[in-house]
Amino acid sequence: MPHGVVIARNAAQVAALLKTAQAERVPVTVRGGGLTTEGESVAYGGVLLDMTGMSRVLEVDADRLTVRTEAGIFWASLAEVLRRDGLDYLSAPLNLTSTVGGTLGVGGIDVNSPRLGCSADQALALQLVTPTGEIVECSDTENAALFERAILGYGQFGVITEATLRIRRYTPIRMRYFYYSGLRTAIEDLQLLDRNDASDYCGILTMMDKAINLLVAFDSDEREAAFDANWQTRLRGSGEAGFALRMGLHYALRPWRLGEALYLWRRKRELFPEFRRPEHTRDGRMHDRAVVFSRAVWKFWGGRQMVIPDLATSAGKFADAVERGNAVCRRFFPHYTLYCVGIRLREDHRAHYEMSCIPPDALGWAYGCEFEPMIGDAVYSRDTLQSFKNAIYDIGVDIGGSYYRFGGMMKGYIRRALGDAVVERHLAMKRAADPAMILNRDVIF
Amino acid sequence: MTALNGKQRDHSACSGCSLCLLACPVWHQTRDIRLTPHGRAKALQHGATAGEVAASIASCTLCGACAPACPEEIDLVGMMLELRKQQPLAPERVATKLNGSAKAVLRAGIASTLLLPGEGLREDTARLARIVRLLGDAVALADDDGSDIGLALEAGVAVDNERVARFLDGLRGATRLIVADGIMHYALRRLSPGMRIEGLGEALSTLAPVRARLRASDLYVIEPRAFHGDYARLIGHYDALRANSGCAMNLDLQRFAIPTTASSAQNALGLPGIDATAQARWILQGRSIERIVVEDIADAAVFARVSARPVVHLGDV
Repeated sequence: MPHGVVIARNAAQVAALLKTAQAERVPVTVRGGGLTTEGESVAYGGVLLDMTGMSRVLEVDADRLTVRTEAGIFWASLAEVLRRDGLDYLSAPLNLTSTVGGTLGVGGIDVNSPRLGCSADQALALQLVTPTGEIVECSDTENAALFERAILGYGQFGVITEATLRIRRYTPIRMRYFYYSGLRTAIEDLQLLDRNDASDYCGILTMMDKAINLLVAFDSDEREAAFDANWQTRLRGSGEAGFALRMGLHYALRPWRLGEALYLWRRKRELFPEFRRPEHTRDGRMHDRAVVFSRAVWKFWGGRQMVIPDLATSAGKFADAVERGNAVCRRFFPHYTLYCVGIRLREDHRAHYEMSCIPPDALGWAYGCEFEPMIGDAVYSRDTLQSFKNAIYDIGVDIGGSYYRFGGMMKGYIRRALGDAVVERHLAMKRAADPAMILNRDVIF
Repeated sequence: MTALNGKQRDHSACSGCSLCLLACPVWHQTRDIRLTPHGRAKALQHGATAGEVAASIASCTLCGACAPACPEEIDLVGMMLELRKQQPLAPERVATKLNGSAKAVLRAGIASTLLLPGEGLREDTARLARIVRLLGDAVALADDDGSDIGLALEAGVAVDNERVARFLDGLRGATRLIVADGIMHYALRRLSPGMRIEGLGEALSTLAPVRARLRASDLYVIEPRAFHGDYARLIGHYDALRANSGCAMNLDLQRFAIPTTASSAQNALGLPGIDATAQARWILQGRSIERIVVEDIADAAVFARVSARPVVHLGDV
């Protein structure tokens, strides 16, 4: 527990807090939506700085397609404001209550990330309060070195108080689903679509490791028509009816797996209507995909005991990583979901990616997979859940990958996965920027 | 608290997702997590007493948007009403509004449907008469609409059983209630289980002549309490209404109604609370509309203060 909580209200107040904390050597832990699962935003003593108090949209520029916002704002609240002008953010986690500042600090993955990159890459400029209490504006052209470290910097080099983001015109999307019975085939097809810019949105969500859903979506009829003409026939997945027939035959020949079939049927019956809610569907298009996905995520995967380890790899290593992670999941849990998505990388931001969720060997795209056990009302010991996470994280070390959930309780893996040299270099930068090492001290270092 | 679909329904089930915040008008105006369902649940999970979260309990407008937002299906309205019993709002002021002498005339022989107009409409007799005519011959006006009971419920002030019994006596024989006051939905669903209970907005917007007069250039303002209290059913009704008329609605991206909070107990009792005009401005922000149509008569005055567009009650379209 923290010794005290401060609700952030403006940059000057945050600066005063950090100056005092630096002088008195008081740890300050910054919290946005509080959705990290490794305890990164949990304060063990010191001050907890709640950034959600700074959540106003400051300026929308519909001509230049940019927005300036306070960084404690939830993406959903930002979307509410932008939508009044027919605008939308580019990409954000499929979780309505992630904050802009928190997301820019760790990455932010959406189902359009294969095309538009991670959320952190849509930031044009930041107002940052450094660990010593200076209020600094930074971007690719102004205080670029600080910008480099703040983006994907896990809150080590400052508190993001404001952000200027690229935005776009809002479009509802048309969703298409392809079903696979093998992980590797689905991943290969996902990567085929990513490489060829064949869709606007693309990701994998599994019900079981033999019932895999590749979701593909489009912003426009033109993009969908181009997909139909060039790529649909090259995908090896089936449509819903065809897949149901295949699975029916599969289980008819294996009656001893009736329980598995019933689970799949029940899952489909519960889950699919959530993605087709009529109030979010008009003329066959899904409106407010983040709302639809996020509500489904919390309804079906949420709970007080959430464990979601992940792996991030280069494209070439991804299928192996997912198959190995899947084997770990099978060992620990009867039911689980895998969520896989690509992240388009920006060559000009390569320096931002150092010591982050983007693996050093990723070129063009990085790939992430979350391993989400369906815990429900079952009770697992902390040891069991930690063993599960370690088994997943060990794969990252073994194959030379990285992790989206990068710090907190799993920070011991950072040196193992990325090596001492890079960690020592960042530690030296951290010591220079934060002499008393007060800011988010248990997250990375 | 009981379990629903295997899930606990009290604050202990809160997983901290914060989805309730997004729909909460108190959060929208204060950006203070302590004054939200999430904040209260976390405080209670860690042993806080009702007294220790008194400011949070006092701030809630009971618009009910948090309840359908909650993926854990926690009965957040019920939870707040229980907390209000421990920390009531201005009990002396509520006591002066309790209608100890209300005497209902049994209307069962006249009509199977009773309209409970609520305080705001009851005082506007001409409009009320028009609404009753619009609703048709099968609808009679209830003499006692229990507004005082609704206010007491919302404020957390106990009402004696005799008063409640007299109120229910007046409804005896009716099979359908049309209720203008959103908080009374909550009360009546518990006091009269099995009775068909509709909001005035739903009842009016079901009528073909009313639907026909809604325009694509209208902003249609849903009364939030009745809507959120029966959300799973009513979202379909309003979505069809929107598709049919093309009008804009006071819905957020999650499809919950953004309230003005004009009908909150804080406003009725003259207590500090959410700025209803700021809520109305937020509802209007960025919308190109020509007319504002409100279900709740209390909203009419609020929108009239912040917009030059005509504001009409649904019964007057």
